[in-house]
Amino acid sequence: MRVVVAIKQVLDPTGFTVNRRAEKVFVNREEHIINPADRCALEVALQIKDAVGAEVVVLCGGPERANDALRYAWAMGADQGIHLTDKLFAGADGLVAAKLLAAAIRKLGDVELALTGDRALDTGAGEVGPRLAEALGWPHILAARTVEINNGAVRVIASVGHQFFAMQAQRPAVVIVAAGANKPRYAHGGRIMTSYREWKPEVWSASDLGLTEADVKVAIEKRGQAFPPERQPGTILSSADELVGMLKRQRIIS
Amino acid sequence: MDFEFSPEHVALRKMLREFAEEEVRPLAKTIDREHRVPWETLKKAAKIGLLGVPFPQKYGGMGAGETGYCIAMEEIGRVCTSTITNIGAHIGIAAMAIYLDGTEAQKQKYLVPLASGEKIGAFGLTEPNAGSDAAAIRTRAVREGDSYILDGSKIYITNGPIAGICSVLAVTDPTLGARGGVTAFIIETEWEGFKIGSQENKMGIRGSSTSELIFDNLRVPQENVLGKVGLGFVTFMKTLDYGRASLGAGCLGGAEAALEAAMQWAKARNQFGTYIAAKQSIQWMVADIACEVEALRSLIYRTAWLIDSSRPFSREAAMCKLYGSEVASRAINKALQIHGALGYSSDFHIERGWRDARIAEIFEGTNEIQRIVIASDLFQQIGVRIRS
Repeated sequence: MRVVVAIKQVLDPTGFTVNRRAEKVFVNREEHIINPADRCALEVALQIKDAVGAEVVVLCGGPERANDALRYAWAMGADQGIHLTDKLFAGADGLVAAKLLAAAIRKLGDVELALTGDRALDTGAGEVGPRLAEALGWPHILAARTVEINNGAVRVIASVGHQFFAMQAQRPAVVIVAAGANKPRYAHGGRIMTSYREWKPEVWSASDLGLTEADVKVAIEKRGQAFPPERQPGTILSSADELVGMLKRQRIIS
Repeated sequence: MDFEFSPEHVALRKMLREFAEEEVRPLAKTIDREHRVPWETLKKAAKIGLLGVPFPQKYGGMGAGETGYCIAMEEIGRVCTSTITNIGAHIGIAAMAIYLDGTEAQKQKYLVPLASGEKIGAFGLTEPNAGSDAAAIRTRAVREGDSYILDGSKIYITNGPIAGICSVLAVTDPTLGARGGVTAFIIETEWEGFKIGSQENKMGIRGSSTSELIFDNLRVPQENVLGKVGLGFVTFMKTLDYGRASLGAGCLGGAEAALEAAMQWAKARNQFGTYIAAKQSIQWMVADIACEVEALRSLIYRTAWLIDSSRPFSREAAMCKLYGSEVASRAINKALQIHGALGYSSDFHIERGWRDARIAEIFEGTNEIQRIVIASDLFQQIGVRIRS
């Protein structure tokens, strides 16, 4: 069974500090990590591999440094890694990312399940998963916490708010994994060594994917970027009675 | 000249940093308080190859070389000295002795379970009458048919209580002394005649177990002679040489932790209307620690490079241990001072760091011995023989 995991490489949040007053982000250490939700998705794939046997293929778009993300994914236990890179992909938005991934999945063929994290730490839009499903014409399940293979279907426990739902979709399907759904395994140090010394990811460009410049035209125009407004201070109450009164008036307590 | 780490070592460091923060740090206070070995951590460490970092993958290790091993010691040492002592004694001396002088059969039988973390190792050299004067050991190994019978005891052995495999040094010919009369053996702690003696109650590294090893009519098959009969001293001294560089790397981690803690406190602590980082006395202490850490880091990784490229490294390794232990002590001492009374509190981590650091100047060859090693090596180069 072939399972694809789409991962994104993002800036390590511990490497930068934010100065609100100057409205500036200072990158102290330019280091990149695999987006945490995508790492959870990869862990799901590897658990499926452990349970029923599967071929896990990891896809990652990005510049040269995406190489490191793919090597770590391979070291964690993936079978294959493909780097989707091309000058034309620069500045790709969620729509273009989904198109690339769909093209790669179609080129791979025989893919039964595509997994990806619910949102990226940097953009946080959470759109790639559902867009990928639409581009492939496959069903998709959101906010997955656990994923199981069940005959020709995939069975998922998904969380919505404080509730959990059991959901099922026929394969092939896209499952979008919630951040924190599991604790991803560490890569074995020996495999990390091997991932650089003896292995390397495949590289696919726009032409390999059969995509033209028109196909990967960005749909969103970015007009600016600003910090969210400063949080307003709340109301300071002087006594417990005041608090109780306020909660009763808002019918939070009776 | 390229001072960058190779990409695989950068990736290894990142993984180990995460492992250290998620798995090692949460237990650091507990194992010190409860005076126990972090078994949970050792099991998880085995799963990622952390109990065999420098050894080739064909022996179950990571294949990361001395450089990878120093990185591991630095990253884990930064978070918990007790944990890194468990690991360092296991890899750096116990398993290392077998890797350096073991036969292929011995490596398959003993190095593989050690490197994969299936068994823990200990290094049995020190005795009550033989610390720095290692040649004065008295544990006796008498030839009997196709075995040796061991009688005697070792003291202050790290991992003694938890080891499955020990590298042990014993006297095979009392008339010859250290040159030709001493032999190294690999012993299995399950064998009849092996016992653990009393456990040490230590000032620091209380999450590391230290005890006596007692050999009472312990029969060791001749296949378990490590290296050449009579030349065990050479094997053991060579092993200690390798262990020194990585111990220095553990000290580097500790010193870095002290520096980070000192800076964070200097930023957080407000006195006289501002953070104490604004005061020169604090700034100078931080600058002094940072200089030493930087110098130590260069020394450690250059020595690791010497080892990985099969160049002579004895003198530099002794420097790593000597300088590393002293830098770590100075760093944690300054960090404690910067923390003021909080640094003295047992509810906070600084005092544990201070207690943990002290041992590094003593074990694996006291700093006095390291100075002799360094001076001997230097003087030899201008024709002066210091050691007999």
